[in-house]
Amino acid sequence: MKNDTIYLAGVYTRTIMKSWFQYKVDAVLRSLAVFLREATGIIVIYFTLLKFESLNGWDIHELLFLFSLLFLTYGILIIFFTGLRDFGRTVRNGGFDRFILRPRGLLFQLIFSNADWFAAIGHGSLGIVLFVISAGNAGITWSPGTIIYYTAALIGGVMIQGAIFLLLASLNIYLLETNSLKELFYWNMRKFAGYPVSIFHKAIQFCMIYIVPFAFVNYFPAQYLLRKEDMAYPSIYMYLTPVVGVVMYLAAYGFWRYSIRYYNSSGN
Amino acid sequence: MIIFEHVCKFILSDVNLHIPQGISLGLIGPSGSGKTTFLKLTCGLLEPAAGSVYTMRLIPEKNRRKLGSMTGAFFADTPFFREEDTVESNFRDLKIIYRMQDNIFDKEYYALAERLGFRSFEKESVKQLSLGQRRRAELGALLLSRPKLILLDEPTEGLDQTARDSLRELLMERKMEGTTLVISSHNMEEISAICERIALLDHGSLRYYGEKELLLRHFAPDEVMEISFSGKMPDLEDLPLRHYSLHQNKLKLTYNSNYVTSAELLRHILAQTTITAVTTQKSGLSEAVSRIERGEKHELY
Repeated sequence: MKNDTIYLAGVYTRTIMKSWFQYKVDAVLRSLAVFLREATGIIVIYFTLLKFESLNGWDIHELLFLFSLLFLTYGILIIFFTGLRDFGRTVRNGGFDRFILRPRGLLFQLIFSNADWFAAIGHGSLGIVLFVISAGNAGITWSPGTIIYYTAALIGGVMIQGAIFLLLASLNIYLLETNSLKELFYWNMRKFAGYPVSIFHKAIQFCMIYIVPFAFVNYFPAQYLLRKEDMAYPSIYMYLTPVVGVVMYLAAYGFWRYSIRYYNSSGN
Repeated sequence: MIIFEHVCKFILSDVNLHIPQGISLGLIGPSGSGKTTFLKLTCGLLEPAAGSVYTMRLIPEKNRRKLGSMTGAFFADTPFFREEDTVESNFRDLKIIYRMQDNIFDKEYYALAERLGFRSFEKESVKQLSLGQRRRAELGALLLSRPKLILLDEPTEGLDQTARDSLRELLMERKMEGTTLVISSHNMEEISAICERIALLDHGSLRYYGEKELLLRHFAPDEVMEISFSGKMPDLEDLPLRHYSLHQNKLKLTYNSNYVTSAELLRHILAQTTITAVTTQKSGLSEAVSRIERGEKHELY
């Protein structure tokens, strides 16, 4: 049997992009809508923060750099994990049964058979805008070493969030409804992650490092590049993002493989 | 090909049966009797709560991917296509998913598109299709990779007569090639035309499983013959009739075809009078099914 998995991934991607970008004006407007929706939130925060000199030593540009990492990783994430974001709906409307009945890997089909390109563009371009505004002003010195570090941190950050999506999708097999869990553990934590971890109560810090480790998505990578004085954790944490990403993803994948055996379609 | 041993799941309780390869089985029974559950157990979408299911010697829910390459399953409530894409591009995806070679795909696709009549809307996106159009394309997609086992759950709902006829033809051809078919339907004519075996489910238990002919002979042996005659009224005294009625010159005879054949009746009547027209009507599968469902006891099993 020839291995044509990559070829199939390519075909899927092409078909999906064709259908998402079928209507050019619509595609531009809807991507713009996502961009503006997210940007408005940032603008509100920006003006609020202007009132303060700094937040635990982080000035406005450094804070925007934190945000840029969140948006960039989400922009990449959603290209690959739309199928897992929408997994609950796919199960409910019977679409998951279709995947099961086909002779291909389930996760492969979920990942490649859809991608929310408008979210990817909206979040991704906001991430780029924030990066451009903040990276220079925050005084990061770019060298081959920091560029490699930054890339690894981005990939690690995507994997951490991908693992959370995969874990929630696995739970969906038992619970049938995980939107509120996602709201609580993903979106709420993500709101905290816009700010330096050090400003929060110890319990929340603990959550953001060891439970839903958003701190590894942006805070610790930013610490490596900015070296702020509020760093109260072992300096090894600044290097762990890719490791945390890989480990979490593998663990979530194991749980997914285990859970999928218990999937049961609806009866009658 | 398919084995059920003491299977329980949802409404199904202690279902046992063995479906050999190449058989075409009609799965019938009232709504909620467990037909869809039966089919979903067969292809691994459901796991039995007790007992075991084997499909092609495999435990379905543990071998979903392997079974997927050999099985075509159609469920009315499972979307088959990506809604945003055209029919044709959905088929092109399937070509790669099932690892079909270009020339084989082209041959199968164009043949199915012509016969099921979805060629005319192959460039339209799936979400714009009517139910009937969508069904035709879905059934084509199901047959595309020539699966060894075909499972159909109410396949003809929403299909017009032409499409029904094409589907019936296609299924008969596949059956000749050795494909195993399991079709659940409320349409007895459909089942009767395609299937040689019948499984009748009622409230989750198997009320009948066996040859269709046997079922008909035991549960629907009645035939009705209408005779128009000119001349004197024939004497029917010695004939084993269930009952008869007379309207002017039209005689309606109801009889059990296991006891007397239409030829014997005609011979008897022709000897006494002149016949101008004859029609006979067998009672069908639906008659047999309703008699079983009404709870008529029979020593058949």
